[in-house]
Amino acid sequence: MDGHDSVFSVRGLWKVFGPKAARVPGDPRLTALTTAEIRERTGCTVAVRDVSFDVRRGEVFVVMGLSGSGKSTLVRCLTRLIEPTAGELAMDGEDVLAMDPARLRELRRHRAAMVFQHFGLLPHRTVLDNVAYGLEIQGVAKGERRARAREVIAKVGLAGLEDRRPNQLSGGQQQRVGLARALAADPEVLLFDEPFSALDPLIRRDMQEEVARLHQEEGRTMVFITHDLAEALKLGDRIALMRDGAIVQLGTPEEIVTRPADDYVRDFVRDVPREQIVPVSRAMRPAIGDEADRGTVLAPDATVAEGVAAVARDGVPARIEADGVLLGVVDHTRLLAVVAGLAPDEANYADPDAGTGALAIPGMREDGVDTDAGPGADADAPKGKAATTPMDAPATGQGTDTDPVTA
Amino acid sequence: MSTVTTSRPIVDGERPPGHTDAPGRRRTRRLVRPSTPMVLLALALLLPTAALLGGGGWPQALRVDLVPALDSFADWVVDNRETHPVFLYFLLHLSNAATDSVAWVHDLLTAAGWAGVLTAATALAWYAGGAGRRGAGPALIALGSLAGCGFLGLWEQATETLALMLVSVVVAVVLGLLLGLAGGLSDTAQRILRPVLDTMQVLPSFAYLLPLVLIFGIGTPSALITTVIYAMPPMVRMTTLGLRGADPAVLEASRSLGSTSWQRLWTARLPMARPQLLLGLNQTIMMALSMVVIASVVGAGGLGESVYQALKTRDFGQGLTAGLAIVLIAVWLDRTTAAAGARGGVPVGRRGTGLVLVAAGGGLLAGSSAGGEWPEAVTVDIAAPLNTVVDWLVGNLYQDVPVLGGTSVWAGNFTSWVLNPLNNGLQALPWWSLLLLAAAVALLVGTWRGASTAVLALSCIGVLGIWDKALYTLSQVLVAVALTLLLGFAIGILAARVRTVERLLRPVFDAMQTLPQFIYLIPVVQLFNAGRVAAITAAAVYALPAVVRVTTQGLKQVSPAALEVSRSLGATTWQQIRDVQWPLARPALLVAANQGVVLVLAVVVIGGLVGGGALGFDVVKGLTAGELGTGLIAGAGIVCLGLALDKLTQPAGRPALTHHSH
Amino acid sequence: MPITVRLGHAPTAGRPPLGSRPRARSRRTRTTLAVTGALALLTISACGAAETGGGDSRTVSLHTPSWVGAEVNTAVAAYLLEHELGYEVKTQQMDETPAWDAMSQGKIDAILEDWGHPQEEKRYVQGNKSVVPAGELGVTGHIGWFVPKYLADEKPDITDYKNLNKYADVFRTPESGAKGQFIKGDPSYVSHDNALIKNLGLNYKPIEAGAEATHLAQLEQLYKNKKPFLTYWWTPQWMNATMDLVEVELPPHEDGCDADKKEVACAYPDVPLKKWMNADFAKEGGDAAEFLKNFKWTTEQQNLVAKYVAADKMTAAKAAEKWVKENESVWKAWLPKK
Repeated sequence: MDGHDSVFSVRGLWKVFGPKAARVPGDPRLTALTTAEIRERTGCTVAVRDVSFDVRRGEVFVVMGLSGSGKSTLVRCLTRLIEPTAGELAMDGEDVLAMDPARLRELRRHRAAMVFQHFGLLPHRTVLDNVAYGLEIQGVAKGERRARAREVIAKVGLAGLEDRRPNQLSGGQQQRVGLARALAADPEVLLFDEPFSALDPLIRRDMQEEVARLHQEEGRTMVFITHDLAEALKLGDRIALMRDGAIVQLGTPEEIVTRPADDYVRDFVRDVPREQIVPVSRAMRPAIGDEADRGTVLAPDATVAEGVAAVARDGVPARIEADGVLLGVVDHTRLLAVVAGLAPDEANYADPDAGTGALAIPGMREDGVDTDAGPGADADAPKGKAATTPMDAPATGQGTDTDPVTA
Repeated sequence: MSTVTTSRPIVDGERPPGHTDAPGRRRTRRLVRPSTPMVLLALALLLPTAALLGGGGWPQALRVDLVPALDSFADWVVDNRETHPVFLYFLLHLSNAATDSVAWVHDLLTAAGWAGVLTAATALAWYAGGAGRRGAGPALIALGSLAGCGFLGLWEQATETLALMLVSVVVAVVLGLLLGLAGGLSDTAQRILRPVLDTMQVLPSFAYLLPLVLIFGIGTPSALITTVIYAMPPMVRMTTLGLRGADPAVLEASRSLGSTSWQRLWTARLPMARPQLLLGLNQTIMMALSMVVIASVVGAGGLGESVYQALKTRDFGQGLTAGLAIVLIAVWLDRTTAAAGARGGVPVGRRGTGLVLVAAGGGLLAGSSAGGEWPEAVTVDIAAPLNTVVDWLVGNLYQDVPVLGGTSVWAGNFTSWVLNPLNNGLQALPWWSLLLLAAAVALLVGTWRGASTAVLALSCIGVLGIWDKALYTLSQVLVAVALTLLLGFAIGILAARVRTVERLLRPVFDAMQTLPQFIYLIPVVQLFNAGRVAAITAAAVYALPAVVRVTTQGLKQVSPAALEVSRSLGATTWQQIRDVQWPLARPALLVAANQGVVLVLAVVVIGGLVGGGALGFDVVKGLTAGELGTGLIAGAGIVCLGLALDKLTQPAGRPALTHHSH
Repeated sequence: MPITVRLGHAPTAGRPPLGSRPRARSRRTRTTLAVTGALALLTISACGAAETGGGDSRTVSLHTPSWVGAEVNTAVAAYLLEHELGYEVKTQQMDETPAWDAMSQGKIDAILEDWGHPQEEKRYVQGNKSVVPAGELGVTGHIGWFVPKYLADEKPDITDYKNLNKYADVFRTPESGAKGQFIKGDPSYVSHDNALIKNLGLNYKPIEAGAEATHLAQLEQLYKNKKPFLTYWWTPQWMNATMDLVEVELPPHEDGCDADKKEVACAYPDVPLKKWMNADFAKEGGDAAEFLKNFKWTTEQQNLVAKYVAADKMTAAKAAEKWVKENESVWKAWLPKK
């Protein structure tokens, strides 16, 4: 998967803070210890721990974790705002760690721009000059950089506010300025460091939609750091879930939700409304009888929620078709099994047809949610392998992840 | 003078008081708690024993007499300063540049005429305030203050003072910026600068007056350089502070966009440090103004000379008038710079700028044609009524006040019952026990490093052969500090709780801090007789405003939530003060104590002028009677005493204070 | 070209002493310079490179000492120089020792009242010959120990130093502790008091009263309240008009008895007060130098003007003007003969 279609390629990356930090990654006696033990032994704090992944061109790669999990450090390592302690890091195949300061500045000026949690706007400058700041650093002439800044400001929906100062803007507006500043340089990659954590929930949603829209329109590669699972699931093509500096699971939102790699992840995704994330294809079974001829037609990546709606409306299983070819059908039992967090084949097949018209299974959801999914296949899978286990649903194109994932 | 108000305390701590970083504070406590009683016990046993065992005094064998060497160096300078290349090719140019630039600014001000200066200053103040409605306040103050100088009949003197001020402020700001940049950007530079600035803060300005006069003689260059040395530290501190305090998020954002460090300095660090830079400028101006009288001792004319001359004829009223003019200039410059700071970098519109330029230009034209001198008809004499008031006060308070006794009686009793015993006690203690005591106290309050500095500084005093004199001075300093803190804390607590008190005190203290101390020396002597009590009173009067201010600020910074909790639990006022405000404000109060020490030391030399004797007197004598060696060593003694006392009152975990001193 | 009065030249090789630029230019030059703004700056700095001393204006720079008696010498001289001889006078206030130093460098042209500075005379008059004598002021100064008259009236024998120990208790203060208090004068003034007290075996403690201003304030306050005091004092002194002090007799002064400052045990001498001039000014100062050499008046005349200033609160310039207007016959004799 490395090579030209990955923007960032990260291998065995470490970031250790503290005295003589460099000795930690190379010492197998230390690397065998937990982060807390290493701190006790050496006084060093391991922020990023032997992390490997690729960011593919055009995708939104989300790094998710609780505070202190090392995600913000990790994203700063990508442009060496924080110098990694050990490991390999390439951007477009070029070794970032080998760059001299001038080349590194070049990278930061033109290839990767970052949006920060606390905006980092210059308080003494207007919106216009804040957005043009990156271009100013590049040495672009005043007239030109202002013209370009104006375009970007319009793009992020701040037209008319060019002459305001940051302290005259709301938090959301300030972050739009931060976003515009990053976009103004027209970088290959946008890095987001918890950009919306400091915003009110409603504004946060707006901003998320804004980012989603931008991504749709421009297809720019994005690396997105967040501690908010909903945000990660909403925006991410793939999600790397971090804990104590290491990636515990890397996969599509669906994989994360349906096949948590360990108890930690499972706990994390427990409250996620699966029907919003999981595609109907996960609940699909072959059509039986006349099922192939009736019922609403859904795309394979339609969500389970849409499937539920269709089945409830029609009273019969819905059909899944791709390019006019019937892939299978979903019925209420299998849909409910997904909602309940059960593996599809755990659903009760005693009477496949009996369910018609009887959609409600009282208590099912609560049970499903509260139980730790029992001895499901995923739960038993060894850590780290979960994400690489091929999906049993043939229709999902994405989701397989052959990247080496370390946990 | 809003900024003067906060100004001193703010420069005074690189961090606002009360924000001592937690680990530091914890460290101090851990260190203090187990050892305090033991150390105190040990001292309680040790000191009386020591006093009984051995006569005090620093052993003769450990002394080095530098006076002859310094005196012969002075002779050498006098004999060679007209021929030696160092003087001819370096110092002469410096001296000429100083004289020329001050003369040029003065010529410019004279040529602009009073009307020109008035309009220009008013327009500038308006511009600083944003050239809109908000600029009206500063503009009116500028107009009123300067016109006030004219009304007092001191226009000519004011322009002389202003000329020296402007040049020295420009030089101090430029140098301060450069040093501040170094300190702000490089940790090494900061490590070097910090102790230098710390020393400068306890360095009495009289001490460097001496070598300057030796090299440059009496006149503008000495006055200018003295003022620059004195006024520069706050600029350095505030620049460093501003650069170091830059929002890291902004700097990181700038870095993430690929900026070079130069670009970050110009586009982010410096613009964001603007408030601190302006505060530094404000401080520098105020410090320079407080040097006006001292500068006149070495030949700067202007208002300082008026004060000095008035005092010679014991014309208190005239002295106060000249002092008032200095205060007026301070108010004007303070408000203008404060307005510029409050504007927060919002640029002034083109129309405002144009208006300002037109107004200033027109004023200058009109002024230069109208002539430089303020019309004598438009002056008022406030000296005579002031004199009457003071004479009445002094006449009635000196003695024979029923029951209370009168100031001369108090002074006498105070000397007999407090000063003499304390001084005798200190003199009776063997030198080594005092070193031990200093080390112990410094350790309790601060760090090992502070303790060793304190011991070293005290040893220096002994080696220089001025141990006895230093103790004589020390006894006065201790009493003055105690008095200042007692009064300062009491007033500070009152001001923190009663807003009216604070509002009433504020202008009084502002004026007190800007008014040259020389002015109140005469009534102090008349009330308390020349001697140590007069010196102590002068010192306490000088140090009190800052102590009150820091105390008030510290108490007011105590989190309202904590206070609310204690109120909700039904605590009495006294309980609130004792259980909540006091402990929470303790760091700030330590700052206040330290401030008191440094300020009191700053006026030890002034105390020498009213009979304080010892080190302060020697410095004065060195300067006025040409006994350079004696003066320099006494100056060094004051510095050592200052360093030691500073360390004894400087808690650990707090960055060194940045006060000012004389 | 106007006559050059004030030359700042150092004696050696025409090299300038430090800070010897002319401080005052004529008003017109000043105005022109300043109004032309930046151009003026250029002009001045250009001058700075070329100009190494020597003024081109009729400016005399005089020393204003810190006591009123001498201040009025300067004020009267300045008034006459300005109004009769057409000079511009710049006065500079400073203490005596620095004033000598400044005079040797040509920063001030003359000192009009000197109470005797043997060390400086040796260095600048005999030494580098940068200062020359300019005759006597006409006033005889005397320094001594004084007590207030009300005290002397009460205890007549107190005016003999031999009886001072007997009365030490009278002069005791908290400051002096067990001893009698002796109030010293301004630190810059000529004094042997510490040596005298020690060498005469007196049970007194010298207390520094600080600068002259505070010294006077202290004495005045004590006098007003009829307190006993023993102090360093001198005549002429304008406060003698309001304060009646009686001198304490010390062992008589003999030539050389004060040669070794540590061993002094005799009274202060009568000092015919002297005038001094910068050597170059004396040579090239023209009318101004001649006038200042001729300047000579009596103790009474000086005291009168001093009283105008100190007691009547006139400015020194106003007092000088008043005296000059009333005493034309006296000062006519000082003007250079044409």
